[in-house]
Amino acid sequence: MEEYHSGDEVAFSPDEASNAVKECIEGVIGGVDYNQNNVNQWTARIVEHSLTQLVKQGKPFKYIVNCAVMQKSGAGLHTANSCYWDTTTDGSCTVRWENRTMYCVVGVFAVAIAL
Amino acid sequence: MSDLAKEKAARLLKKRGSLSSLGSHDVRTKEPAWKAKDSISTVSYIDEPGHHDDIPRPAMQMENTYQLGPTKRFPVLTVQDILKDVLASYLQEEKYEPELCRQMTKTISEVVKARVKDMMIPRYKVIVVISIGQLTDQNMRMGSRCLWDAASDTFSSHTFKNSSLFAVANVYGVYFE
Repeated sequence: MEEYHSGDEVAFSPDEASNAVKECIEGVIGGVDYNQNNVNQWTARIVEHSLTQLVKQGKPFKYIVNCAVMQKSGAGLHTANSCYWDTTTDGSCTVRWENRTMYCVVGVFAVAIAL
Repeated sequence: MSDLAKEKAARLLKKRGSLSSLGSHDVRTKEPAWKAKDSISTVSYIDEPGHHDDIPRPAMQMENTYQLGPTKRFPVLTVQDILKDVLASYLQEEKYEPELCRQMTKTISEVVKARVKDMMIPRYKVIVVISIGQLTDQNMRMGSRCLWDAASDTFSSHTFKNSSLFAVANVYGVYFE
């Protein structure tokens, strides 16, 4: 039985993750305006595509992907997170995206698996 | 091997290294005239000054536990009670104000994390995500997907609303083998 990443523990790379997520967001809601009927699908698709892309990177992590889509109406939104984990191996990144009619905030948290 | 260690050290120095990682993001209104680009994408790393370790620690190798699963599970309902309690006590009488809510999100997430840590659930890593927003006529949808071991990992969630703001709190518990 071979170990996939034997010995060498890889830390989380926010750059790769954020690039993958950015592409997913562009792909799903790239040129469209806010539409209440579709938001459900959009959030589900963004989250699933992002997760699939992250898994394709083949790193030994458990992932949590959080996505919020909000219509632009002048209201403010604040998000914060606090994490109790091993900072040498685990990490997170957040991607903010907007177009003319809506905001999209995606947070990715990666927790290392011991191999 | 030493090159790899140096690379890791450089990376760790750039990122925050303490056990308490705190980050916040704001979404503000933009001017209505939207000229050049149709979509903007920004990336922000969680970073707050004063939380950096001086000495970069190498990743720890843990010994085998020979356990098949967690001895004590993540108590979803108790954590949900904590969330209800904290959100209600901090936000019951508050009106939405940008500066106040910015500070409030960070404070609430730290408080919730501290209370979950006090429960002393062994071998569980905890992630707390708090969102506070202003109530106007807008619509909002939040979704979350997780790739984990469904037998041992779980989450707990609660929303709070008053006349001028709403708050969403998610706590994820991930078992570390």
